[in-house]
Amino acid sequence: MSTVDDPRKSLEFLQGTLEVLILRCLQAAPNHAYGVSQYLEHQSEYEFLVDNGSLYPALQRLLQRRWITSQWKKSPNGRRAKYYRLTPLGRRQLVAAKSKWMRFVEAMARVLAPQR
Amino acid sequence: MKTMRERWSKISRALHFRSGLNDDLSDEMQAHLDLMTTENMERGMTPDEARAAARRQFGNLTRTQENAREAWQFPRLETILQDIRYALRGIRKSPSFSLIVILTLALGIGANTAIFSVVYSVLLRPLPYPHGERLVWLGESTAKAEGISITWINFEHWRHDSDSFENMAAFNGTDLTLTGRGDAVLTHDWLVTSSFFQLTGAKPALGRFFAEGDDKLGAAPTAVATAECWQRRLGGDPNIVGESVVLDGMPYQIIGVLNPGFQFLTRSVDFYLPLGRAAGASHKRSDHGSMRAVGLLKPGTTMTQARTNLDAIMERLALSDPGPEDDHRAYAAYFTEVMAGDVRPTLVVLMGAVGLVLIIACANVASLLLVRSRARAREIAIRVAIGAGRTRLVRQLLTENLVIAAIGGVFGLLLAGWCLRMLILIGPRDIPRLSEATLDLPVLLFAAVISVAVGLLAAVAPVLNAGKVDLTTALKEGSPTSGTCKRGQAFRSTLVIAEIAITLMLAFASGLLVRSLIAAQHADPGFDPRHLLAIELQLPESRYKSDDSVRQYYGQLSQSLRAEPGVEDVGLVMCPPGAGDCGDYWYSILEKPTPARDDVPLSLFNRVDANYFRVARVRLIAGRNFNDSDRAGGSRVTLINEQLSHQEWSDPRLALGQHLKVGGPYVEGPTIEIVGVVANVSQMGLDGEPMPTFYYPFSQKPDSAMVVTMRTTGDPAQSMNAARRQVAALDRNVPIQSLRTAEDWLGATLKRRRFATLLLGVFGVLAIILAAVGIYGVLNYWVGARQREIAIRLAVGACPSTILRWAALHAAGLAAFGIVLGAIGAWSASRWLQSLVFGVKADSPIMMLLAGVVVLAIAALAASVPVLRAMHTDAVRNLHEA
Repeated sequence: MSTVDDPRKSLEFLQGTLEVLILRCLQAAPNHAYGVSQYLEHQSEYEFLVDNGSLYPALQRLLQRRWITSQWKKSPNGRRAKYYRLTPLGRRQLVAAKSKWMRFVEAMARVLAPQR
Repeated sequence: MKTMRERWSKISRALHFRSGLNDDLSDEMQAHLDLMTTENMERGMTPDEARAAARRQFGNLTRTQENAREAWQFPRLETILQDIRYALRGIRKSPSFSLIVILTLALGIGANTAIFSVVYSVLLRPLPYPHGERLVWLGESTAKAEGISITWINFEHWRHDSDSFENMAAFNGTDLTLTGRGDAVLTHDWLVTSSFFQLTGAKPALGRFFAEGDDKLGAAPTAVATAECWQRRLGGDPNIVGESVVLDGMPYQIIGVLNPGFQFLTRSVDFYLPLGRAAGASHKRSDHGSMRAVGLLKPGTTMTQARTNLDAIMERLALSDPGPEDDHRAYAAYFTEVMAGDVRPTLVVLMGAVGLVLIIACANVASLLLVRSRARAREIAIRVAIGAGRTRLVRQLLTENLVIAAIGGVFGLLLAGWCLRMLILIGPRDIPRLSEATLDLPVLLFAAVISVAVGLLAAVAPVLNAGKVDLTTALKEGSPTSGTCKRGQAFRSTLVIAEIAITLMLAFASGLLVRSLIAAQHADPGFDPRHLLAIELQLPESRYKSDDSVRQYYGQLSQSLRAEPGVEDVGLVMCPPGAGDCGDYWYSILEKPTPARDDVPLSLFNRVDANYFRVARVRLIAGRNFNDSDRAGGSRVTLINEQLSHQEWSDPRLALGQHLKVGGPYVEGPTIEIVGVVANVSQMGLDGEPMPTFYYPFSQKPDSAMVVTMRTTGDPAQSMNAARRQVAALDRNVPIQSLRTAEDWLGATLKRRRFATLLLGVFGVLAIILAAVGIYGVLNYWVGARQREIAIRLAVGACPSTILRWAALHAAGLAAFGIVLGAIGAWSASRWLQSLVFGVKADSPIMMLLAGVVVLAIAALAASVPVLRAMHTDAVRNLHEA
């Protein structure tokens, strides 16, 4: 690796991470697709840039697995939008995935930047 | 057209149950955009700016929607339907192109399907018995011969002691004369054990089958009639059960009638009789007849386990009941394989050949599709430019090819059905189960699989190319031929080389077979088959019990036939040339060192009277013929053939006066003096190898089944009536088994060879035509793509002959490469042909040269049109058009 990571470029999602992050976002509150993308960008301090081309398929996959459900509702500013909410199954899934990813992150950190 | 399209879209909407999801997704995305637009306006943008910015921020709407939809892993039905519709439109738009492609595919797929249905029916289809796939053919084996007959005692031990088989049944063919119901007729019968009908799953139409009690030594004689025999010989009498039939003078009580359609081996059968009633009397382990057995393997038992199991029984018996055959072991092979027998190599070669034809067809289609995909480069570039993904494009091209292949497959099936009817019509009768070949489910599956495979294979090149479209060049350059890339050209050249190579292989193989057929037809049969009539007789044993009565009958018949006008002479032979193997046995020569137990040689044996060799005009090589002094009770003599003599002595004259021990040193048998050596005859057929044979004089060893041969002065067919008359006059209870000329008899031995040669010849011609079309197509395209280059070269002063040389060299290069590859392929494949080749070496260099010349000539012919077109390019017009 000769190139150093460019901090101005946003991070790409690793395989399977976007789904977990969506679940985490919906745990806070039901939200619509745009809301989810804003939440993720804001929470990651704009390290993540959410591409709609990935977000929508990911939402469909979660629907398919019955980890989330959707419903058309009025948004606070009076517009209609499709809201997604976590199902009990999704909640359990999130707990499992969260501990797995935390372990993963810590392990990565231990290897990449060992504290001597 | 309109209504059809409406109906079509209704169907597809009904199929495409996710249009609701589609609408929902676009609503959701619209809402998403609206939210973003609102926010943008709150930041102070004008509504138009806000909306445009939102669109930009969102990204590709359609793509996102498509991807989201595809997350649902349903089959992408609507895209597939759309692609198929598009493909059909493409086919309609270029009918001549589609016709050529579909026709080529139909030829390849049709020929393959037809041959496969034969292969499936003859070699692969399970037998029509319950658990036919587990049925095993059983026999004994010696160091010299596999699958010889089993003796009753050994069979009984196998049946009771073996734990590899669920059940076992023995059977033995016999021919008995039915009397008391009109004229005497010879019936073909099977002696079977009582387990036979359970094993073969036969059902009675009337009455019952044998119980174990019927199958015991001393049981009352009973019989089961086949449905055909019941109809033909017993008048279809519904009360036949309980009645008696007289077979060879002995009354048998009919206890049942089989369901129609039941068949065992290829033999047509009249009666089934219990085997154990007579065979049960056997008390020696070496008491061989011609009994064989079938066994039903237990599920999960392998053939090796079964063999080991039976061999162990044989080893144990060798200790507990020693005899002359202690070295015998068990022979076991799947029934299907045994049934197919020696047809297998022929069918394997035919299947291989027809597969090669398919490859050529496939190559032609690939090269055509490649040309078309280049012509469509612009269309593809436009689609990529407006956002088509690579996978989407590839999927569409694949669908198009598969649709074409499917249409080709359907036409191929029609063709196959027709070819199959032809094959069954012209095919030799002795190929088992050939007539049962149909386009049934496995064959349809095969056709479907090769259609899809061909569709995919032919699509590889165009699809690879499609992914590599260079947008700017393809869009800029208008002419479809201007984009010839090096890679496409190399691919097309490879196809031509492959086609030439394969054609050479097929031409070589069909040449070899044609040459073999000619050689076989002109082979010296060792006797003179012209004007020779053969009457096959079988004397009913009940009436002709003693050797004297048999001798007397044949003596009288010979005499009365000789007196007929137009008959020169009459001789007797047990097993006429072309009739094959009527029995072989061990032998040894007393004056030579005793062979080891495992090395006792085998020889065919035959019986002839003193006239036969003269009548058949078989050359006497040394010694004397049989004569009247060789009487029963006199000193025993034999004649041997050249092959046996050659096997034992350097000169036939050395054989004279030496003694042949029948049965070899370890088996009982008479010792007979060799008094003469005669030339080999085509015993196994015109294309058979000569086999060692020794002849008994009929006078010393008569047989009730003999063939009476008559040398006629004129057309032998004219003496047929006289022959029938004389046989009937002498004893009307003696049935004539067959009456035909020796030429018919011999010619029949080449039926299978003719069949194989005809088919391979057809495939060879098919390959040559397809390859010629392929070569023409590719070179024509090559010249077309270089039209402008040629025009420029001509314009700046090149002679047309230079252009000619250049194009011809290109073509010749491809041909040379193909021929060299094909020659290597043909040479390495020639060992597969070994078993089919006769009178010529399987790697005959002359045949290779001939095949090379033919293929080269075809290639030159196919190439000449495009090459001449290159020379006659009109430079001025071409450059003007550009």
